[in-house]
Amino acid sequence: MKIMDEALVAKEKFGLFNAINPNPKAFSKGRLAGIGISVKDNICVEGLPSTAGSAILSNYVPVFNATVIEKVLAEGGLIVGKTSQDEFGFGTFSVNIGKGLSMPKNPVDPNRSCGGSSGGAAGFTRFASAPHTALAESTGGSIACPAAFCGVAGFTPTYGRVSRFGLIDYANSLDKIGSMGKTVSKASLLLEILMGFDPRDSTSVNQPVPEISNAKPVLKGKTIGIVEEFFGDGIDSKVSKSCENALDAAKSAGAKVVSVSLSKNARFGVAAYYLIAMAETSTNLAKYCGMRFGQSLPLQGHFDDFFSRVRSEFFGAEAKRRVILGTFSRMSGYRDAYYLKALKARSALMKEYFEVFKHCDVVCHPTMPFVAPRFSDIKKLSPMQNYAADLCTVPANLGGFPHLSIPVKEVEKLPVGLMLTGKHFDELSVAEIGKGIESVVNP
Amino acid sequence: MKIDSLPTVIGLESHVQLSTKSKLFCACPTRGKEPNSAVCPVCLGHPGSKPVLNKTAVEMAAKVALALNCKVNPSFFFSRKTYFYPDMSKNFQITQYEIPLSENGFVELDSGKKIRIRRLHLEEDPAALIHEKGFTLVDYNRAGIPLIEIVTEPDLASAREAREFLNKLWTILGFLDVFSPGEDVLKADCNLSISGHAKVEIKNVSGFQAVERALLAEEKRQRELLSQGEEIRQQTRGFDDKSGRTVLQREKETEADYGYIFEPDLVSSTIDSKWMDAIRSTLPELPFQKARRFVREFGLSDYDAKVLCSNKKLSDLFESVSKRVSPGLGSRFLSRELLGILNFNRLEIDSVALSEKELGDLLELLESGKVSEKNAKQAAIEYVLSGVAPKVFLEKSGLLIDLGSVDTEKIVESVLLANPQAVSELKQGNQKSLNFLLGQMMRQAKGKANPRELQGFIEKKIKKK
Repeated sequence: MKIMDEALVAKEKFGLFNAINPNPKAFSKGRLAGIGISVKDNICVEGLPSTAGSAILSNYVPVFNATVIEKVLAEGGLIVGKTSQDEFGFGTFSVNIGKGLSMPKNPVDPNRSCGGSSGGAAGFTRFASAPHTALAESTGGSIACPAAFCGVAGFTPTYGRVSRFGLIDYANSLDKIGSMGKTVSKASLLLEILMGFDPRDSTSVNQPVPEISNAKPVLKGKTIGIVEEFFGDGIDSKVSKSCENALDAAKSAGAKVVSVSLSKNARFGVAAYYLIAMAETSTNLAKYCGMRFGQSLPLQGHFDDFFSRVRSEFFGAEAKRRVILGTFSRMSGYRDAYYLKALKARSALMKEYFEVFKHCDVVCHPTMPFVAPRFSDIKKLSPMQNYAADLCTVPANLGGFPHLSIPVKEVEKLPVGLMLTGKHFDELSVAEIGKGIESVVNP
Repeated sequence: MKIDSLPTVIGLESHVQLSTKSKLFCACPTRGKEPNSAVCPVCLGHPGSKPVLNKTAVEMAAKVALALNCKVNPSFFFSRKTYFYPDMSKNFQITQYEIPLSENGFVELDSGKKIRIRRLHLEEDPAALIHEKGFTLVDYNRAGIPLIEIVTEPDLASAREAREFLNKLWTILGFLDVFSPGEDVLKADCNLSISGHAKVEIKNVSGFQAVERALLAEEKRQRELLSQGEEIRQQTRGFDDKSGRTVLQREKETEADYGYIFEPDLVSSTIDSKWMDAIRSTLPELPFQKARRFVREFGLSDYDAKVLCSNKKLSDLFESVSKRVSPGLGSRFLSRELLGILNFNRLEIDSVALSEKELGDLLELLESGKVSEKNAKQAAIEYVLSGVAPKVFLEKSGLLIDLGSVDTEKIVESVLLANPQAVSELKQGNQKSLNFLLGQMMRQAKGKANPRELQGFIEKKIKKK
């Protein structure tokens, strides 16, 4: 099978996979028949190692399939393997990789990052020439960011649209499984199949699923809001220009384009997001202590010492940083000032979107402030600079709004992504406008 | 101020397992036989697994809340309480923090004093740790079983009150049919202080008796320290059942910090008025209501009615036997003889198999005079201890009175003849002589006579003379 051969090359040459499915099954029936589906490594596939990019889970083999895997198999999809990612999703560049696991390199330029945290997923979507779509996951932008850096379409649904049952948690109130494809159509077909209520995930919603796979490109009669804060300071001007050109083309094709402001989101989004995400993740990661989950070491001393040794040895630096910051933010004395305040901020920031959505179908801005950076440049970033790179992707994720990153004109042969964010449960408008813009730009 | 005059202040946090069929957040059964047989990815905390709330557990807990006069919150949610411990595979417990299922109730003691309930919430039980041969084994069958935690205000003034409170609580729970009274044990964390001094928590004490003993011991320890001029340190202690003392577990300068966050895998739960009404409609007759009815319907004294209604099973037994024998006899035999036998043998009524039919058979025999009071009690003892049906026991042991087999009249005549002194005293109205004569006659009849019948004969003979 061509897709499996390509996966082997992608693993060897670009580190896009942590594991290749040793027994891929091709089906002839179903809407995904003949399509290879790569799976981000934090999504459980029964019998395949699912590490979530962490050394502490490098020997973990799930005993059940995630709901999304059941859906893919039911529609005849072929499971290619597990794509590489930042440890537990902690990163923007897929460089926070657990010991012994793959670090994805961008097929466009192997000296550059694929973006993160779904780096392997985006890289392989770019690399594969055989039919393929990727199962990816976003907490704060982990689908849009790598899609932008690799020049593919990345579709993140409304929070609760797709069951998280079988997703190894990063931050449960933010995690969303979505899809990537070379085109909006391809990403939409998989996403449509993934969406729907699942009684095994209490946060999944029971809402009719829109037929985004049949969405027509529509620009006429649609209103696109341009988020002014995400076109100014801190955004590479060439990236801005590429996005503006795409929006001009959309306007010429009949879309109404207006300027909107998300100033509160621009100012507080990243802070609120990281507080909530880290608080939740610090509880999620507690189970990896060498007791039932995680690696083992010789038993010595008090169980607390044992747990500490296992966690010290097998968690990466970024995982440790997030556990420590997250734990701090929820301890009594700090909880009100950080964790609870961040939750309140989240509601306020969502309201800002609701206001804008009163007169816009989607809002648009560059997905990332710059093109895929070189690994050598990433090393120079401080943690704060790292987190700031999520400026544009975080607000939609914090509010649980559906969003899509599509490739627009490259800058110096490097991909640029334009991000469209829609109203809750309005994946259809996002798909229609996304396809519309896709049809008028030439990356 | 003198130490002796300072009041004791006690508050309790009681934990009770609910007898749902499945666990709080997954479909696993709550009664697993083999260790680690009733487990699944959810209660083992597998990566990727997600909890789904068991509605029956919510209903049961809400029932308890209503019976304890609590306000049930129409909307509530769960939180993660985080701490590292080998009995929790996730290293956090899903419990309730900010807005629990219910708050602000009370339990009334016999004295009329109301013990306020601060909150009643739902949470998951951790796994059971079994310490064996230098190893610690973990049985996850218990992990995820629904627990309710009932927290009182510090309204209890003595160990005795604490025990009475727990007894009352246990009785109410028994009536609600929300737990398995024979299998489950009540566990409580007990907080005790001498007014104005630091509070000490005694963790995880099992059973009412142990709670009372632990509190008595701790109260004594604290009062002794204070009278020696020492200060009480804020501590967590355990109770050593053998020595009857509380033992230091850890000093605590501050309250434990569990870093609560909202459980992000669950949405907030809502009990709408329709569901609330449905739950309320399943509330059974509560102990105090049943006792009032017993007084009204059966003419029992307040005291007897209360004793019978101190346990669901006992009150049901009474109601059943009262259909066959006089309620007075039923009440007397159950509350005095049966409870006496259980207490003497340190048995709980809920852990002994007692059938309404067999006790009814026994009481019928007693009422009709076919068995003596003494032999009926013996049969009840055998029944409680070895499960032999009383009627079968009496038949096999030949203790049933066949009113034709013993010549009662002859016995009466011979005893009266042999005791002229007693007879003459009886004629002067001496009750003691009557008892003496009856005793003699019962001995000759080897218990197979009916005292009432004997008395009738005696009266007849004496009048004749």
